[in-house]
Parts: sequence; structure tokens; C-alpha cells
Amino acid sequence: MSPLDWWLLLAVLLFCIGGFGVLARRNTILVVMSLELMLNAVNIALVATAQFRAGSPGAGVLFSLFVITLAAAGVTVGLAIVIANYRTKRTVLADRFDEMKG
Amino acid sequence: MPGGDFHPWFFVIIAAWILVCGLGVVLFRKIVYSAVSMVFCFLGVAGAYALLNAELVAIIQVLVYVGAISVVVLFAIMLTETQGTEYKLFFNRQSVFAAPVAVAAAVVLTVLLVSSEIADVGEESQNPGLYRLSELLFNRYVFPFELVSLVLLGAIIGAIVLARAGGEKQ
Repeated sequence: MSPLDWWLLLAVLLFCIGGFGVLARRNTILVVMSLELMLNAVNIALVATAQFRAGSPGAGVLFSLFVITLAAAGVTVGLAIVIANYRTKRTVLADRFDEMKG
Repeated sequence: MPGGDFHPWFFVIIAAWILVCGLGVVLFRKIVYSAVSMVFCFLGVAGAYALLNAELVAIIQVLVYVGAISVVVLFAIMLTETQGTEYKLFFNRQSVFAAPVAVAAAVVLTVLLVSSEIADVGEESQNPGLYRLSELLFNRYVFPFELVSLVLLGAIIGAIVLARAGGEKQ
């Protein structure tokens, strides 16, 4: 395995840990946190690929910066939604948010 | 093992740190412990960027994730903490299916990774330095840069609107 493969393996494992957290935890704040883990995994993959492959230099690093910015925007709106829901329902557990259930 | 400028053990230490802290985020029963574990995971990821010669991303990672996002998450936890017996069942019902799905996804992606031949050019660094990066950011990538600041503005306004709408109702 090449050095890039090892870094991508780390990214894959972190991504799957975050995915498990998104699917399995009840607390919606923890779902947002696991989503951040997944975004970090994608960033590691981006930066590692940019490091070991020639091509357009700097694109991987700059796009990981854009991903970090969008993750910050996402966590802001996500936690605002969680808190707005908490005001009306007094809970943050995902299975209590069932108004849209058919 | 990745090497080059640094000893391979640095990669092993950083990778183990990131994965252990990531598992801690998902598996800790108390959400405050999960948040602290998340902070350490983000620090580990910043170390990974430093090993990859992307010092700008490492600094931004510490500033944005460790400095800002963790504080926002901790505020949200403190504002919404519910006491009582609700936390006894901290996984939901579909975790029985989620665990095999996550493990299967990891195995499939790893097999794909090992079997495919991603041609890398070698050990030497391709990530440009700070000077070259800033040149690229303000010339070639200036449009996405401005676009992303618009998105950030929208997120700020959206968060204020969401938080105020709940307050007016009461």
C-alpha cells in the first residue's frame, strides 16, 4: 500500500465511525457532531490526495478550506434548529420529533 | 506506511488518536464527554494536516473547529441538557441495523481502496506553501471564495431568524 492509501484508509474509518453516529444516536446534537466527524474525514481525504498527486496544485487544500467554512455554516443552522425544536418540545431526542410521521 | 519528512510512527500515533477519539464521540454515554472527545479528535485532525504539509488548513482547523464549532456545540448542550431517565436508552432502535451498515461500508471501501491502484507520484510534497496558496485563493478561486462568504452570511441570518422565531411564540 502506498502512503496515500494509508491516509485514505484513515479517512474511510473516520467517515464510517461518523456515519454510525449519525444513524444510531438518539440525541440530535450528537448527530450534528457525528456529521462534523464525517466532514473531517472528507477533508483528510482531500488534503492527502492533493499532497500525493500532481495536478492542479492547491486545489485540494483550498477546497478543504471551503468545506470547513460550509461545515461551520451547517453546524450553526443545525444547532439553531435543534434549539428551536427544544423550545417547543422540551427534548432533543430524535425519535420524539415525529410530527411528520405518516 | 506514510513517511517522507516524518517518521511513520507519527502517522500511526495521529491515526490512532483520531480513531480512538472519534469512537469516543459515538460511544460515550454522556454527551459532554462526547463533546470533549470531539475536541481532541479535531486536534488530532489538525495534526494530520500538519503532517500532510498543509499548515494553513491545520491552523484554520484549530481556529474554526476547536475554537468556534466546539464552543457552539457546548453551548447547545448546556442550553438543552435534559435530566432524568431519558438517557438510559442512548442508541435508537435502528442502531441494530446501523452498526452492520457502518462496518460493511468500511469493509467495502477498504477493499476498493486496496484493490484499486491510485497512482501517486511519490513521497515528495505537492501541497503549495502559504504564499502560493494565497495567490491562488485571490486570483483563480476568488469566485468560490466570495460565494462561500455569502453562504456564511446566509447561515448567520438564518440562525438568528430561527432562534428569534421560537422566542416570539412564548
